[in-house]
Amino acid sequence: MLGPGFITASAGNDVGGIATYSAAGAKFGYATLWTLVALTVSLIIVQEMAGRMGAVTGQGLAGLIRENFGLRTTFFAMVALFFVNTGITATEFAGIAAASEIFRVSHYITVPLATVVVFLLVLRLPNRVVERIFVAFSLIYLSYVVSGVQAKPDWGQVARGAFVPQIVHDPAFLVTVVGLIGTTISPYMQFFLQSAVVDKGARARDLPMIRADVIVGSVLAIVLAGFMVIANGATIYQASLHTGHPPLNIDTAQAQDFALALQPFAGTFASLLFAFGILNAGIFTATVLPLSTAYIVCEAFGLEASLDRRFREAPIFYMLFGGAILLGAGLVLLVPKASLFKLIFYAQVVQGILLPLELVLMLIVINRPRVMGSYVNSLAANVIGWGTAVVIGGLALVYVWQSIAGGS
Amino acid sequence: MIGEGRGEVTATRISEPVPFHDGFVSELVGRPVYVERDGERRLVGRVADFVVERPQDTFPHIDAVIVKTKHGELAAPIADVTLLDSDGLVVKKAPTVVRPPDDEALYLVEDLFDKQIVDVDGRKVVRINDIEVARTGGALRVVAADIGVAGLLRRLGAGKVVPALLERIPRALIAWDNVAPLHDLSPTQIQLSVSEHRLARLHPSELADIIGELSAQDAARVVKSLDDETAADAFEHLEPEVQRSIIDDLGTERAADIIEEMDSDDAADLLGELSEARQNELLAEMDSERADDLRELVAYAEDTAGGLMTTDYVWIFPHRTVEGTIAKIRQIAPETEFIYYLYVLDQAEKLLGVLSLRTLLLAEPNATIHTIMDQSIISVRPDLLAEDVASTIARYDLLACPVTDEHGTMLGIVTVDDAIDAIIPERLTKKLPRFTKRGQRRRAEAAP
Repeated sequence: MLGPGFITASAGNDVGGIATYSAAGAKFGYATLWTLVALTVSLIIVQEMAGRMGAVTGQGLAGLIRENFGLRTTFFAMVALFFVNTGITATEFAGIAAASEIFRVSHYITVPLATVVVFLLVLRLPNRVVERIFVAFSLIYLSYVVSGVQAKPDWGQVARGAFVPQIVHDPAFLVTVVGLIGTTISPYMQFFLQSAVVDKGARARDLPMIRADVIVGSVLAIVLAGFMVIANGATIYQASLHTGHPPLNIDTAQAQDFALALQPFAGTFASLLFAFGILNAGIFTATVLPLSTAYIVCEAFGLEASLDRRFREAPIFYMLFGGAILLGAGLVLLVPKASLFKLIFYAQVVQGILLPLELVLMLIVINRPRVMGSYVNSLAANVIGWGTAVVIGGLALVYVWQSIAGGS
Repeated sequence: MIGEGRGEVTATRISEPVPFHDGFVSELVGRPVYVERDGERRLVGRVADFVVERPQDTFPHIDAVIVKTKHGELAAPIADVTLLDSDGLVVKKAPTVVRPPDDEALYLVEDLFDKQIVDVDGRKVVRINDIEVARTGGALRVVAADIGVAGLLRRLGAGKVVPALLERIPRALIAWDNVAPLHDLSPTQIQLSVSEHRLARLHPSELADIIGELSAQDAARVVKSLDDETAADAFEHLEPEVQRSIIDDLGTERAADIIEEMDSDDAADLLGELSEARQNELLAEMDSERADDLRELVAYAEDTAGGLMTTDYVWIFPHRTVEGTIAKIRQIAPETEFIYYLYVLDQAEKLLGVLSLRTLLLAEPNATIHTIMDQSIISVRPDLLAEDVASTIARYDLLACPVTDEHGTMLGIVTVDDAIDAIIPERLTKKLPRFTKRGQRRRAEAAP
C-alpha cells in the first residue's frame, strides 16, 4: 500500500506545496487547476521513468548520472541538489515556526525543539517507521477536501478551470504556474523515488507494481493539491471578488497565513487542522529530505553512507545531513523574516530551473540501450517527457528573463 | 613547435623534465603527445585513455595509449612510447591504429572511472575516482583504484588550484589485486568486486554484506558462482526480502540445493516467506527426509516453540557406550550447531532422556548411555508460546529445551538464545553471549 511512489508524492505536498497551492487558489481562483491536470500526466511519466531506471539498473539516479555523465556534471548536480534541498529544509522549518505561532508558541522555542525531534527521528527510528507515521498524519490533508466541498464552490466553474486551459494576463500568473510546477515535480522527488525503489530490491518484473504505485500516489497528491486550490479559490478568492481586495496580502503570505485566512470560512477547528497539517508536513520533510540528500550525494561520490556507521567512519555523510538540518533550522532562527521569505522564494525558483536540466539527464540515460536494455523509453513517454522538459524549461527561461528585466 | 599555450613549458625547460614513475590516470589524460623524428618533436594529439588487454592479471600492464588526434581517437602501442614525463608523451611513430573494440579490452577511463566497486572489507559500495598507475617490473601497470576524496578533488582539478590541500587528505586506495572484474568484461556496466574465488574465502556475514549491496541481478550471479555450502552460509545472513529475490532468480533445483544446506530453522524461515506452490516445488527437489523436517517446521507459527526450534541436534540410542558416543560427536560436531546436550531416543524417536556434554566427558568410557542419562525430561509442546518456552528454559537453567509431541516423540530443540531473541527487543539481544550461528548472525546484524 505505502509504496515509494505514494510516499514520494506525499513528501511533495510539503510546506512549500501548501503555500503555493493556497496562493494559487486565493489569487486566481480555479484558473490554475488545468495546469495541475496537465502536470498529473507529466508527474506520472517522470516518476515512472525514475522508478523504471531504479528497477532495471539497481542504481540510484545519482549513480546513473555519475556513470553516464562523469564527475564534473555530477559534482555540479550534487552541489545544486544539496543547496536546493537545504533551502527546502529551511522552508519546512519556516512552516514549523509559522504553525507554532498559530498555536501561540514562540518559534524560538519550537524550531530548536523541532530540530531535536528531527535528529531523534533520524537517528533513533527506522526510516520506514517515520514514513508511516507521517503519511498516516497526512490524512489531515483530507480536511482540505472537506473544506473544499463545504465551501460550496460552483462545480461548473471548477470543472471549467480544470479542463479548459486559460491564461490570466497578469505577470504573477506565470510566477504562480512556475511555482506550481516546481513544487509538484520537485527535482529531489525523482532521486528520492529511484533510491527507494532500489532499496526495496525491486526489479524489472516489478514494474507493473511500481507503475500502479506511482499512478495512485501521483493522482492522490494532485487531487489533494487541487482541493487546496479549490478551498482557497471558493473562499478567499471569492471574498476578494466581492470586497474588491483580498483578505490577506497574497504576495508575501505563507502557509500559515492561508490557514488563518481560512478561519472565517472554514471555522477554527479546520484552521487548527491546517496548522497541524503544516507542522506535520514540515517535520516529515525536514526529517526525510536532509537524510535522503546525504544518501544521494554519497552514492554519487562513492562515499560511506549509513546510519549504522560511526561519525568518523562516514564523516561526510553525517556532515551532509546534519549540516542540511542545522542550516535549515539556523536560517529560520537567524535570518530576518523578510529575507527568509526571499530566500525560500529563490529556492523554489532554482528548483524550477533545475527540473528541466534533471529531466534532460534522465531522458538521455533512459534512452540508452546499454543502460536500460529493452526498457528504454517508449515513444509516448519520450514525447511527454521531452515535452515536459521543453515546456518547463521555456517557462523557467521566460520567468528568469522577466524577473531580471522587471525585478531590477 | 612545442605544447601550444602551456605556460609551464618554459619552466620545465629550465629544469629537466621529470620522468614518470607513478601517478594517476587523471593527471596523464590531456597531456600532449609528440612524435619525435630527427630530434624534432611534432604534436600529434593528447592522451585520452589507456588500454589494458589482460585485465585478469594481478597488476595488469597497460598495452596502449589512446591518443585524441585530429583524425579521431587512435591507439599507440605502449612499445612505441619512448618517453613519458611531466612534459608529455613521446612516441616513435604517429599512432595509426583505430582503437580496439570495447568488448575486447578494458579502457581505464571509459570503463573504470566513476564505476562502482564493492570494497573487500565488506564496506559499502564505493566508486572509482581515479586509477593509480606505476612503472614496475619493466612495464606501466595498473596499481590501485583511488576511491577517496583526494581522488574526487584531483579529478575536479583541485590539484592545479590548491596542490597543498590534496597532499593533506589521506589517500584511500584499493590495491588492484583486491579488485577484479566481477564477471567477464561486459561491454557496458562493469561492476567491480572482489573476484569470485576471493569471495568464497570471506566470512559468511561479510559475504552477505556484499551480496546485500549488489543489485538483485548481480547478487543472483554471485550466489550462482558459489558452492552450495558457502552460499547457504551467506544466505543465512541475508534479509528475507533479498533471499526471496535471489531464490526467484536461481532456478528451482539450485535453490533447493542451497536451502538444503542451510540450518533447518533458517531454511524454514525462508520457506515460510514463499508462496505455498513455490515451497512445494522446492521441497520436491530435496532429499525426502530433509523435506519432511522442513515441512513440519514451516507449519509452526513463528512465535511458538515449533517456529523457534531447529532439527539440528545430537541424538543417540540408549545402548551406546560413552566412548562410542564421544566418537560420534566428534564426527558430527562440525555440522551441528548445538552439541552441549545429547538427546537419547529409541527406534521410534521417542525421547527417553537427556545428558549434557559435561556428564558424558566425566563418565567412564565403557559405561552405557542409559545408565548415566537424566530421565526427568523437561520438554515443551510445539504450540507453546515463545515467552513460555523462554520461561521454562530460564526456570530450569537450560541451554536448550527439547520439543516433543503428545506421545513424547522428539521434534526438535529450542536453544536459549533463540528463545531469548524471540522475547527481548532486538536492541538488547546484541549484548548477550551466543553459541549458535543463528544467534551470531543476529548479533552481527544488530552491531554497527
